[in-house]
Amino acid sequence: MPTSTSEIASQREELAEKSASSSRGWYQWLLIGVSVLFAVVSISFVGSIIIYSIPAWAHPGTLLTGKGWQSPTGPFGGFAMIIGTFETSLIALVVAGIVGLGTSLSIVFLVPGKFRNIIATLVELLAAIPSIVYGLWGFLVLAPWMLKTFDPFVNKFPFASTIFGSPGQQFGPSLMLASIVLSVMILPTFVAISREVISAVPSEIIEASYSLGATRWQVIKDVVLPTAKIGLFGATFLALARATGETVAVALVAGGVANAQFHLLYPGTSIAAWIATQFGEAQGTEVSALMALGVLLMLINFSLSLISRSLVNRQRKVLARV
Amino acid sequence: MTMIDELVPQPENASTRDAIRRTAHAHRARRVAISRVMMILCGIALVLTSIPLVLLLIQLIVRGSSQLNATFFTKLPQSPSLVDPNAIGGVLNSIIGTLALTIYASIMAIPVGVLTGVYLAESRSKLAATLRVIAQTMAGAPSILMGLFGFTLIVKYLQIGFTAIAGSFALAVLMLPVIAISTEISVRNVPDTLREAGLALGAKPHKVSLKVVIPSALSGIVTGCLLAVARAIGETAPVLLTIGGGYLNEWRPLNPVSALPLSIYMNAKSEWPSQRAQVWGIALVLVAFVFVLSLTARIWASRKQKRNS
Repeated sequence: MPTSTSEIASQREELAEKSASSSRGWYQWLLIGVSVLFAVVSISFVGSIIIYSIPAWAHPGTLLTGKGWQSPTGPFGGFAMIIGTFETSLIALVVAGIVGLGTSLSIVFLVPGKFRNIIATLVELLAAIPSIVYGLWGFLVLAPWMLKTFDPFVNKFPFASTIFGSPGQQFGPSLMLASIVLSVMILPTFVAISREVISAVPSEIIEASYSLGATRWQVIKDVVLPTAKIGLFGATFLALARATGETVAVALVAGGVANAQFHLLYPGTSIAAWIATQFGEAQGTEVSALMALGVLLMLINFSLSLISRSLVNRQRKVLARV
Repeated sequence: MTMIDELVPQPENASTRDAIRRTAHAHRARRVAISRVMMILCGIALVLTSIPLVLLLIQLIVRGSSQLNATFFTKLPQSPSLVDPNAIGGVLNSIIGTLALTIYASIMAIPVGVLTGVYLAESRSKLAATLRVIAQTMAGAPSILMGLFGFTLIVKYLQIGFTAIAGSFALAVLMLPVIAISTEISVRNVPDTLREAGLALGAKPHKVSLKVVIPSALSGIVTGCLLAVARAIGETAPVLLTIGGGYLNEWRPLNPVSALPLSIYMNAKSEWPSQRAQVWGIALVLVAFVFVLSLTARIWASRKQKRNS
């Protein structure tokens, strides 16, 4: 008879091992077969986009740094879309990161306990709203408002036109509008994850620091944030991945113009939005150029999610140590 | 006497004692003040987050509900003309299209996703570890890429064309990893003691898995599937590149169909004010679908949790 817990644990391992491998009956083979099918689908997902993009990689320089997009014959330059993607999602991330962190902190530390669950559910529901609805709101409500109020206001400041461009000649959609819509859109996602990360900080160490006389902010600054730091970075990268991959919302509010420029009040586009807006009329090489942009988007997204996943795993280890 | 007074050492000299006490009190006042300011800033962030989201919800409900009438749900869309700028018809074709797409996508994704999830939870092989990484990466992939995949494989390579089956395939690829991951988590959460009890009674491993483990994990699996459907139903980018659109009540897999998100995307840019107004109604219906699905999922999950605990 096993006596110590470690012996019991090792016996359990053995049992589980046996039950997993012993009778490779029809059920085991079914599971393996279906999983292999899943793997095949995933591999052909990546493969088919790459294969269809191959003709466009004849001019990799043009694709990455070219400034014009001449349909239907080319050259097809992706510089404007790459800039637009990074410009809009980084602005959105900074806004949503700062405001979202404050929001999750106040949900955990300010909101009374009985409302906390309601707010948490509400945030998760908001995160489930389809992105097209955010885009629609930006296009029909925010765009006219920005044209009337925001753009003239911004340009009252000296030197603003070097960042934002000169006002009064645009019709609403712009990179700035896209950044704002993206930040509103990723806020619920970011808050939902960062709230979870923050509430996972063990209450023992929080109570310990309160008992030493720390104020609420000292507890947050010196105990909660350092413990949750890595997980919060993970949430940030996840939000960034969502923002860079957003398609239809950006297609509606960014203006859909392949202008390689940095001024925020002028229309622009992003990689995903450009694929969506151009795909309908694209023929021949243009299709493969759009596929090549898709490959680029895939590379950006996969590396972001790789980083965020490793950060979340590290956070789990940190919490296990605390 | 506050707590601070007890904490500071008490020197003999009265004036030194006073000086120390004053410094300590000043220090504490500063810390408290900083804490107040920072917590107020956090509160402001909460308000800042709420304003756009609450505005969006209110506008969606107010502008959307005024569009919902019998014509909206029962008629086909019409093109407005100068003679009759308000003749926009309804969106029945998009509702039917969205339901058809979602059902086909679920039929394709749920069995494969659930079985993959069970395999991920029960196997310790290298294949499972690799598949887990693939599933996690795919779950975060931009939905436009699923559209490109549906286009290249179904529309172009298999030459099936812009059809409901192409769109639902793209949506199924989107749902698959989400279902697999949530299934894996809920199967893993089944206590080992249950499994071992089944094995101890002499049941074959597959019997234990089918009759003990999966039934106990069922509510988690259903929740995951509902959330995946809720996500797929609102996706625009995959269907934009694959379903072709259409103005008829069409549901057959090999014909082009319409969908709610697609008609939002198309009509938002319309030059007719009546069509732009109708878009709010479509968006409200879509969000209602999504909310009902996610709330059902959540209530289901929490009820089961209560029963277990």
